[in-house]
Amino acid sequence: MGVLPDEIKPALQGVMPSHMATCSLAGEPNVTTVSQVYYVDSDHVALSFQFFSKTIKNIRENPYALAWLIHPGTLDTWDLEIVYDHSETSGPVFDAMDMQIEAIASMTGMKGIFKLKAADIYRVISASKTVGERLPLAEIDTAASAAQEK
Amino acid sequence: MSHPVSPEQEGQESAAALQRQIAENQRVIDQLNRALARKNEEVRIIQQISTEITSTLELEQIMETLLNAMEKVLGFQHVMILLKDHATEKLQVSACRGYAASAVGAEVAIGQGVIGVVAERKKMMRVGNIGVSVRYLMAVRENLQGAGQAGLAQAPAQLPGLPDAQSQLAMPLLVKDRLVGVLAVESPTPNAFDELDEMLLSIVASQAATAIENARMYRMVEQLSRLKRFFSPQLAEMIVAGGAEDPLRTHRREIIVVFLDLRGFTTFAELAEPEEVMGVLRDYHAEMGKLILEHEGTLERFTGDGMMIFFNDPVPIPNPAERALRMALSMRACVQGLSTRWRRRGHDLSLGIGIAQGYATIGAIGFEGRWDYGAIGTVTNLAARLCGEAKGDQILVSSRVASELEELIEAEEVGPLTLKGFYKPIFAAAVLSLKPNAAASD
Repeated sequence: MGVLPDEIKPALQGVMPSHMATCSLAGEPNVTTVSQVYYVDSDHVALSFQFFSKTIKNIRENPYALAWLIHPGTLDTWDLEIVYDHSETSGPVFDAMDMQIEAIASMTGMKGIFKLKAADIYRVISASKTVGERLPLAEIDTAASAAQEK
Repeated sequence: MSHPVSPEQEGQESAAALQRQIAENQRVIDQLNRALARKNEEVRIIQQISTEITSTLELEQIMETLLNAMEKVLGFQHVMILLKDHATEKLQVSACRGYAASAVGAEVAIGQGVIGVVAERKKMMRVGNIGVSVRYLMAVRENLQGAGQAGLAQAPAQLPGLPDAQSQLAMPLLVKDRLVGVLAVESPTPNAFDELDEMLLSIVASQAATAIENARMYRMVEQLSRLKRFFSPQLAEMIVAGGAEDPLRTHRREIIVVFLDLRGFTTFAELAEPEEVMGVLRDYHAEMGKLILEHEGTLERFTGDGMMIFFNDPVPIPNPAERALRMALSMRACVQGLSTRWRRRGHDLSLGIGIAQGYATIGAIGFEGRWDYGAIGTVTNLAARLCGEAKGDQILVSSRVASELEELIEAEEVGPLTLKGFYKPIFAAAVLSLKPNAAASD
């Protein structure tokens, strides 16, 4: 039995955007929205690496991150402590993510424009329902975009 | 600070703990039993579907059974079966449930949308956030267009299915790694499908792929036996494999028509015993048949001693006029040999041949249960009339054919001939022999 319980799976389908907090080696935090955290197995999740972003830069420097997920059915929120493990450029996880990106891209007339560079695999250290006061989403989004603007 | 616990309290607490443990165990057992019952039920359902779809070779019935099971037993509301069209290399909606009837026939290019990508990669795909993803990419697309990079984008794909689909699960229908089609389910609800649906659908899809492939093979064999009535086995196979268009579909093409019949046959048939007539026809048909196949001619029909053969259809061939001529010359030589034998038995028979070239409308002629493959046009009439005019051992060709073959043949002009069905007198040529250089390459 791994770290991720079955009940978290719907939160890993990209129905509600997830948030991801990373930190540079210099100690500068960054919070951003990611469209989907993918379920790999009960101990691993994957993130798509399509463009260079601050998140990717931070993770390559400092592999620890926190993913914050919303369950679309119950609206429960989950905190996932994750650590970057490795990147895959082939295999079933990469294929599944790549196919999904290509399918949606072709539906919007952008086939071939979006390329999945790699599937970044993270090991899940802990998964728990968010405890404490819940901030309204809007406030978090504002904070996230403020962080992004920096 | 610690509280002293009386033995009585301790006993009550451990009894309560035991009760809780028993209740918890019972809950786990119930859960496992429910899971097991569900598994058994799923196995039973899948076995039933499998039995039903493999018990027929009718493609429509297989798809109907499949859709019924998907809807009523497995509870999928929107199901599509798409089959790969080997001629267009596209997927086509062959049957569906939960969509407008007009969805049938809609096409999906390989590589377009969830279904197209599943077909391209031959791997299943489950998506639960189509709406969000599409909105996100459409916003990116607008940004690209705003940045003057619109040239990068293509028009969004027009795909059959629910306009507001949020979830899709698509399975490739594979037979030994060859794509037969795609089985897809959709829902307007996000995250509608889970791993269990994935598992159920993948089992159904593998059964369906085999059943559909078998039905298609059966249909092909049927079509093959129908085509073999008219065409050589190689050609029939080529047509069924999609290497040639179905010649039974009406089309127009320039062809060379060869008509032949035996001079003196009517008199012979009147005077001789029927067994004798049948014997002569058997020898004659066997020899002519061999020569038709050898020269890749198409036998349109034979009526008693008459035969109509054409060249350049159902598949276009190089030098059709030359092939027709060489076949006619071989036939003439062959019948000359046969008639020596026939003459010894007292039958005076010789061959007359007419050849013409022109456009004709070709295809299936007839009615359900009795279709024939035939050509209609002046060219067939002209060849028949020239054959009628030809004397024993004579090959009459139309002036068009004569000019086409002037490099090859020694001929003498015949005519003007007044032929039934032709207003103007017709000039023709009687083929004497091949020119020496043409004969050498024979």
